[in-house]
Order: sequence, then C-alpha cells, then structure tokens
Amino acid sequence: MSTSDPTQTAIDANGTFEVHLQKSSQTLKVGKDQTILGALQDAGHEVPFSCSQGVCGTCLTQVLAGTPDHWDMFLTPEEQEANTQMLICCSRSQTARLVLDL
Amino acid sequence: MFIRNTWYVACTEAELESLGNKPLGRTICNEKMVFFKGPDGHIAAVEDFCPHRGAPLSLGKVCEGKLVCGYHGLEMGCEGKTVHMPGQRVRGFPAIKAFAVAQRYGFVWVWPGDQTKADQALLPQFEFFDNPAWAYGGGLYHVKADYRLMIDNLMDLTHETYVHATSIGQPEIDETPCTTTVEGEQVILQRHMSGIQAPPFWQMAMSANGLDPQVKVDRWQICRFTPPSHIMIDVGVSLAGHGGFHAPPEVKAYGVVVDFITPETETSHWYHWGMARQFKPHDAELTNKIREGQGKIFNEDMEMLQLQQANISQWPERKLLLLNIDSGGVQSRRIIDRLLAQENSLEITA
Repeated sequence: MSTSDPTQTAIDANGTFEVHLQKSSQTLKVGKDQTILGALQDAGHEVPFSCSQGVCGTCLTQVLAGTPDHWDMFLTPEEQEANTQMLICCSRSQTARLVLDL
Repeated sequence: MFIRNTWYVACTEAELESLGNKPLGRTICNEKMVFFKGPDGHIAAVEDFCPHRGAPLSLGKVCEGKLVCGYHGLEMGCEGKTVHMPGQRVRGFPAIKAFAVAQRYGFVWVWPGDQTKADQALLPQFEFFDNPAWAYGGGLYHVKADYRLMIDNLMDLTHETYVHATSIGQPEIDETPCTTTVEGEQVILQRHMSGIQAPPFWQMAMSANGLDPQVKVDRWQICRFTPPSHIMIDVGVSLAGHGGFHAPPEVKAYGVVVDFITPETETSHWYHWGMARQFKPHDAELTNKIREGQGKIFNEDMEMLQLQQANISQWPERKLLLLNIDSGGVQSRRIIDRLLAQENSLEITA
C-alpha cells in the first residue's frame, strides 16, 4: 500500500483532515475547530443528527476508508475498535482522510 | 442560604409508602429532589430532573426499584445514572445528582450538601423513638414562611397565650419570665410556672393519665434547639408542689414536642411536628387524640407565620424588634449563622 494514500497517513499536526463523501464524490476539509457534521452542514448537506455530543447515535455513519478517532459515548469499545462506523457529530480522524458512506 | 452539610428530615417512610409506586418530589434547601425506593428496598434520592429533557422525574413511577420518567420512559437508578431507556443506548447519558439518604425513627433523612461528607454517625439520636416505653404521633405541614420564623416561634412560647388561647395558652406564660442558656451548639429556653390551673389541652392529658384535671399544677416548657433546625420541647404539668419537671411520673402528664424543620426555599419550609409521651404509651386512641389536638394547635401557628412572612416580604427593609422573649430565637439564629459561615469558609478554602 502506498504511503501517499491519505487514508493511511497520520492526521496533520494542526488537526485538520479531509472527508471524502463516496456517494456524492465530494471532498470537504474539516478544520481543527470544526466537526465533520459542521463541515457537512456548511457545505449544504442535510444529515441526520440530534444530541451533537456523541450520545444519541442519530448521526451514525459508515466509514469506508481511513481511521476514525472516536470521541463518542454511544458505540461500544468493540464497535469503536472495528472502525467501520462513527458518530460524525464529535468523533474525528486519525488519518489525513476519511471516506464516508454519504 | 442554608446549612447544607447536615441531615434534614425529608419525609416519613409512611408518606412515601402511602404513594404506592409513585415517587415523592420534594424541594429541600432549594434542591429539587425525588425520593423513591430502590431495588434493595432502601430509599434513594436524586435530582428531580430527567437528563433527557429536564422533565420532573417525580411525575413518573417506580418500577422494580427504578425511577421511570413519566415523559419518555427513561429509567433512572439510585446513583443518578440512567439504567435504561427504550430504543436508546444510555451509556453516554450524563449523570444527575444523587443525595445521601438515611432511614431512622420512621423518618427519611437527606444530606443536601457535599455528598463526600455525608455520615450516618452524624444523625441525631432520640431516646423516645423505637422505644416501647414511649408513644409518638405526629404530622406534616407545608408552611409558606422562612424556616427561621418557625424556630423563632418555637423558641418563644409566650405566643401560646394569644395564638393558642383555647388550648395551651394561659396568661401565666406571659407573667413568668423565661431563661435562655447556650450550651455548645444547643440553645435551651425554659419557663417553669407554679400553682396554676392547667389549660384545656393539659386537662385532657391529665384526665387521660388518671389525674384530676381541676387541681392546681406546676407547668414547664423547656425548648431545646439543635442545628440545623431541630427543636425538642419538654412540656407538661404535674400536681402542684411535687417538683414540676422532676416530679415522679404518676403525678404528671408530660411529653416532648418534636419539631423537625426543613427549609424548602427562602420563604417556605416543611414542618414535621409530633409529640412523644411516656404516659399510657400503648393507648393508640390517646395518641390519635393528642395528634389531632396538636395538629389544630400548630395550624394556628401556620396561619400566623404565613401572614407574618407575607408582611416581611412586602416590607423587607423594615426593621423588626427583638425583645427579651425573643432571645431563644436570637441565640438559635446565631448558631445557624456561625455554622453557615464555617461551611462557606470551608467551601472557599477547599
């Protein structure tokens, strides 16, 4: 696997990363003070959400590539370790790029 | 401001029991609390605030020791952690405050302050509860007045002559001076009357104890305040010349008026009142009769205090008089203020 693959590369030191939306073929930048949910909303995407603090699970999203940095209290530790889904309201990325099933 | 690191009477076990599977919502020291029986049968208290949408949990019901919110079915546990909610994962739900609760003498006691300081060894002890030599009957009033007005009232019994003219009042109370002493954190106010006619309530008690209600008696009132707001009053009459309070039991009718005063807000409180007595302790009918009489008498205080509070609230800047008859209340408030200052300085340095 190429080291230039951003889904395999560690996140920038400044805390920013990019999210690629598989279904709409769009790539968004997520700033260090921004959530993935916020970036999606700023780009005009309507996604389900509710508590915005990683509790309710409404914004649960499938992860297709890259490694999330889980901050939520909704997924079990096992589910978090699988890295196949995440709560985009509060969780972030360990890799420079995440590919989401959106 | 209230003394918070202490035990207050929240309710009786019987009151909670009488609600069946409903919890009991009660505000104590401005804290909205809800009391319910947990899975182990012990009574628990948590904030009356559902972490979901802020609904009062006291409108819910208790199911297998869990407090089920009446809005969306969130199930709250005794420690303030959500246990379950239909269709939800509750692991990340924020906890609500839980309060230490103790059950003693048929009362449910709660510690509103720093929970790490709650200690059952600090519960007050009374010889007349859980004691077959004594009988106890009492009740509860919600009084819309500063709890300290009730302390003032009970630490100055000259009001009996006027507020309770038809039951326990008599002019000799006004005419007999009282003495106030302070022993550590206890204030004792006492008055001893000699060779007087017993007032109606005590005539009833004398008859019940086989004494001629028409003979002259010695009468005593010994009010004891202890913090935060408990007042026990030795009251009674004995046949004149037998030593008054110290007279042998067969020539007297006497008891202890029990007052547990629990602040609700700055201008309201919960008042658990009762009387413990050592004569005819197995006579349940007498217990009821005394309770009924005492309930009527204390209802007269309630009317006075509530309108007094309304006056004070309307004119907060008006200075009130403190006379020689008020020294019991003055000393009690001094102890409260001292403990409040101690508690607040601890919080600042903590």
